[in-house]
Amino acid sequence: MRIDAFSRTYEGRCVLRVPDLDLADGAVTAVIGANGSGKTTLARVLAGVEPPDRRGWRRPEQDVGYLPQKPYAFRMSTEKNLLLGGKDPARAAQLMEALDLRALARQSARRLSGGETAKMALARLLMRDFKLLILDEPTASMDRDAALAAEDLIRVCRDRTGCTVLLITHSLRQARRVSDRILFLHKGKLLEQGPTEELLRSPAQPETKSFLDFCGV
Amino acid sequence: MSSSIQKAIELILSADRELLNILSTTARLSLTSSVIALLLGVPLGLLLGGCRFRGRGILLVLNRTLMGMPPVVCGLLFYLLFSGVGPFRHMRLLFTVELMILAQVVLITPIVTGNMETAAAGIAPALRETALGLGLGRGRRLLLLIRECAYPILTAYLLAFARAIAEVGAVAMVGGAIAWKTNVMTTAIMQYTNRGNFSLGIALGLILMLLSLIVNAALSLLQRRLGT
Repeated sequence: MRIDAFSRTYEGRCVLRVPDLDLADGAVTAVIGANGSGKTTLARVLAGVEPPDRRGWRRPEQDVGYLPQKPYAFRMSTEKNLLLGGKDPARAAQLMEALDLRALARQSARRLSGGETAKMALARLLMRDFKLLILDEPTASMDRDAALAAEDLIRVCRDRTGCTVLLITHSLRQARRVSDRILFLHKGKLLEQGPTEELLRSPAQPETKSFLDFCGV
Repeated sequence: MSSSIQKAIELILSADRELLNILSTTARLSLTSSVIALLLGVPLGLLLGGCRFRGRGILLVLNRTLMGMPPVVCGLLFYLLFSGVGPFRHMRLLFTVELMILAQVVLITPIVTGNMETAAAGIAPALRETALGLGLGRGRRLLLLIRECAYPILTAYLLAFARAIAEVGAVAMVGGAIAWKTNVMTTAIMQYTNRGNFSLGIALGLILMLLSLIVNAALSLLQRRLGT
């Protein structure tokens, strides 16, 4: 999946500059980097939530599923929230089972905890098959077991549909567990990319090394 | 005060024909103008709060200015437009309930719009981002936004109705408080007070407050149900 070069500027300050980029089809690509490195901006531009600087820039894929960092729980039950994503009740039941949400199916989604809301939002997104899935820190507010279940679900979904996944994460352990490739963003620039193990073991750029050292890799 | 309460009860129980006429005119005026204001103000508020477009800032300032428009200024404006020297004199709407409704709609719509704008601005960005992420189209997003704003819509309606039923400046100027035709509770209270009939004025005031209480209680119950 080819992404044409683009940039994003807020109030005269360029916060992200991405060169031409290839995302391996059917692979999970993790995006890592410090706070303010441009990870969320990358996700939002690719998802079509905000435009890049250049008019006429075309998104690599129109059939994009996107999970925002702070997902919205609609004022309805957990189950109905899931059915907004797709109409198949059996699939909703399956996803709720996988993420331990069955007991909360009829509860108002507004009453879910932060972690439960994150699980509901991921399940809601996975109700439909997209060609590109962009997940912005999907497990940030989940506990360990829930995060592992969510990672399993992402892998299963990728294997079943062959979709390409862009996973924005702060957890290098998660990136190692789930992703095939890693993109490292630093101060709005794509500094380094490569296969997950290779990049984590022997980063080429000093900034990448410093970031990985700080994260204890 | 106790004699006024007694008078109010007597008025209600006796089903005084003039009182019933004033009540029905008040109900017709307040309900119609607040519903029209809601129908106009909700979409406008959702547009201002939920979308970013050129000229939005100017519209917001204009709306906030109109929210504070004194009712007598609104009344004067309509009086001039529809009186014998005004451009719309041939419509012969001055001193009719229809013009009173129109004047109230102009007064109340900005209040509904302002409230809906505030509510939508707090909800719309996160809702839009999530809905776009789910691949939902523009129409579906709008329906979801309206659904999510059900509670603020009721709040806006409560405000609109309260403003409509309590308003006196504009309706007095364009309606003229004509008995059996355009006299409403507020203008009738003013008339009775001016004539020195304080107890009847207070009695009407108490009935007005009771009406307002009933409508507000009913809508608040509905609002509570929506809130949960």
